[in-house]
Amino acid sequence: MSALLDSRAARLLPDGEALVRHDAAVFDLRRRRDAAVAALPDFEALRAHAEAIKAHTLDHLDTYLERFESQASAAGARVHWAEDGVAHNRIVHELLEARGVRRVVKSKSMLTEECGLNPYLEAQGVEVVDTDLGERIVQLGGELPSHIVVPAVHRSRQEIGTLFHTHMGIPSGESDPVRLTEHARRDLRPRFLAAEAGITGVNFAIAETGSIVVCTNEGNADLGMGLPPLHIACMGIEKVIPTLADLATLLRLLARSATGQPITAYTSLVTGPRRGGELHIVIVDNGRSRLLASSAHRQALACIRCGACLNTCPVYRRAGGHAYGLAVAGPIGSVLAPALQSGDAARELPFASTLCGSCSAVCPVRIDLHDQLLVWRRTRARPRGIESGLYRLAAAVLARPALFRGAGRLLRIVWPLLSRHWLGNPARAWRVGRELPEHPGASFAARYRRLREAKR
Amino acid sequence: MDVALFIPCYVDQLAPSVGLATLRVLEHVGCRVHYDPRQTCCGQPFLNVGATREAARLARLYGACFEKAEAVVCPSASCVSTVRQRYAELDPGLESACARTFELGEFLVRELGRTELGSCFPHRVALLQSCHGLRELGLGHPSERVYATAPEPGVTESLLRAVEGLELAWPERPDECCGFGGAFSVKFPELSVRMGRDRLRALAATGAEYVTGSDMSCLLHLGSVARREGFGPRPIHLAEILASGLET
Amino acid sequence: MSARERVLARLRGAVRHERPPPGSFVPAIADSSWEAFAEMLRSVGGEPVGPVEPDALERTLADLCTDAGSGRVVAGPGVDGAWEQVSDEVAPVSLADVDVAILRGSIGVAENAAVALDGRHAPVRALPFLCERLVLLLEVRAIVPDMHAAIARMPVDATQFHHFTWISGPSKTADIEQTLVLGAHAARSLAVVGVRSHAESFR
Repeated sequence: MSALLDSRAARLLPDGEALVRHDAAVFDLRRRRDAAVAALPDFEALRAHAEAIKAHTLDHLDTYLERFESQASAAGARVHWAEDGVAHNRIVHELLEARGVRRVVKSKSMLTEECGLNPYLEAQGVEVVDTDLGERIVQLGGELPSHIVVPAVHRSRQEIGTLFHTHMGIPSGESDPVRLTEHARRDLRPRFLAAEAGITGVNFAIAETGSIVVCTNEGNADLGMGLPPLHIACMGIEKVIPTLADLATLLRLLARSATGQPITAYTSLVTGPRRGGELHIVIVDNGRSRLLASSAHRQALACIRCGACLNTCPVYRRAGGHAYGLAVAGPIGSVLAPALQSGDAARELPFASTLCGSCSAVCPVRIDLHDQLLVWRRTRARPRGIESGLYRLAAAVLARPALFRGAGRLLRIVWPLLSRHWLGNPARAWRVGRELPEHPGASFAARYRRLREAKR
Repeated sequence: MDVALFIPCYVDQLAPSVGLATLRVLEHVGCRVHYDPRQTCCGQPFLNVGATREAARLARLYGACFEKAEAVVCPSASCVSTVRQRYAELDPGLESACARTFELGEFLVRELGRTELGSCFPHRVALLQSCHGLRELGLGHPSERVYATAPEPGVTESLLRAVEGLELAWPERPDECCGFGGAFSVKFPELSVRMGRDRLRALAATGAEYVTGSDMSCLLHLGSVARREGFGPRPIHLAEILASGLET
Repeated sequence: MSARERVLARLRGAVRHERPPPGSFVPAIADSSWEAFAEMLRSVGGEPVGPVEPDALERTLADLCTDAGSGRVVAGPGVDGAWEQVSDEVAPVSLADVDVAILRGSIGVAENAAVALDGRHAPVRALPFLCERLVLLLEVRAIVPDMHAAIARMPVDATQFHHFTWISGPSKTADIEQTLVLGAHAARSLAVVGVRSHAESFR
């Protein structure tokens, strides 16, 4: 039984140049993160502070969301609530429809990916242009983002040049990143100016002031918020934080953990609509309240979507985001999937890890990610059927020393057979890319016994 | 000092020389070593796949086997982290019994205060840090962490640096996982081997003849990849290095 | 029951009310010098200018605009000189051809070279993002060491000005093979002119 992630990785990120490039590009973000956090001697204390802010917030999430709503409304924003992704899409569409909006610009929002907003709106005849350069690239390529911060990390410059040639009409053969970015700038600027609505995500929602905070390096979200008369901001319930002071701690951690920058180029607080405009905020549950109710898993809601866990994960780097088949891949994706998603893929993902613990070590809000995977293995993802029976059998043998020794002697006898090709060889999976070690002969127990006997 | 030896199932069957080396080292530093033949497995493979009932059963057997031991020493960091950190949640009654289980390196350095044993191993050796040893037992310093002041060398590093003639080499990405991960290695073989090959390349790039660590499972996995690829440093367990050149 | 009530009801059933809010964070770093700010600004792709005395400011800005070429230059409130002034009445799209925008920043942050720009000084929200080149004025004494100090210094009613943006360096992206490119969608360059003001700080 080949695991889905494993076979998809082999197919979608084949061994060779693409794999090497992907692994190196993503690990480079980890290196930059290391350099940036090393400049803060109190970094570990800052993480602990962030963890405490999030834990307190989750303990009082209802209160803070109500406060946020009240403050945002007082500032002139309209707040909407959606129980799930479908409701979210409907609310957004109705807002657009009521104003005759056909052209929308959208900045990065993992929530809208999760809800499948783009295909929903497109089916209703609304043109949605993703304006974050990485998101624009994957949009033109007709695919999902493969990383939450650098969505097109799986694409080479040549591939991007080809996409731009096909969809934007630039000369063929262009592959220089500076020129490609310039082409995208020229293509997108008129779209910003002509857009009738801007949809953004929300990095943080501040209960104290009713403000939403949007962080970008490109400034695309700000153009989307500042030009069209209608701004729709989409947020998960877990995005709320209590005060502006809390924002300071989280901002100091977000960009450093994501890309190694001390802060993103643009960090915008928006409180109420701009002059002559409208601001609508859609607050989405979509399974998060279920996570909150689980004492084992609620800490996963602390996530600030920095992507540090993806960058450090040796499995993610060698599988690529698309192999996960989720809006959010990597360790945090694997922790959230069993709660937010059904199906075999979600059940399998907690096993797609060696539990090395690197993810937990880089998480700026100290989510115990690898431990979360282990908890899932015990609950929703635990072995069933034949597999469960095999484990019971193995345990029964290991629980009896005499049986264990006997099984060991048997293993030694059949060992050479395991290196041959035959149907049902249990060592087949091991022999993908590896040779079995030579069997060393007598066990330690046997040698120890001989050693002690020799001494007498 | 009286010490009980715990030789995990896979070491017993597939790397018995590591057990013998561990015995040698402990006797060399003056311990009276006992080996209880009732021992088999710490239960980690079951714990890691969510088969908690089976893991608890084996944990209780471990507890019964070692309840009277003053100290239990084991040449496998991942097994030790299972015993010390996971047994209590399997069965609260095991907590005190398991507090005194140590990985070989940490036992020597932290319990006995010994780093220099008189070992001799005149070779260039690259270090493969076990993820469990590093992040769960604190045998070294994880590269993710920020320290206000530079920390002292870790347990494993200290022991290796005290070995006569040994030239210690650190690979690029000093603590990236080798890709074994127990069941992961056979459930996700493509990814496991990709990780193993990359680790092998990084270790080979140091020019080391040998690669060592405190987890034989990682070393067996790497050795298996090396045998297929035809290159790479030879795996040797920390215990075997420490046992080298010891005077009888 | 509305969706709002159902979501809140689920949350009320799940919350704990256990952990108190953590205290404030006191960071270890404390450098709020222009030099520290300028060095960080350079590292994020911005250009520190000066610091200059207030009476030299107009000359400095004129030089910057001349260096930039002969495009349309506009200025926000509180920027002295014969610049085209921008009011909040104009439609944002009418500013699409602006080459240089000169705006007053209110707080500078040494740890990340961020400059605070709020609705009082950037009356048209889109302006700092539409222009090709952005020039921000920053009083040297308005520089604080870190974000904790910076946020504490935000004017009490700052959020009532609808938008408040921290700007650190020019627009940038590394989405194409991790190659850093300046000027993704917004300003291609950012210059921060330090001003050694001795008069009462503009607020």
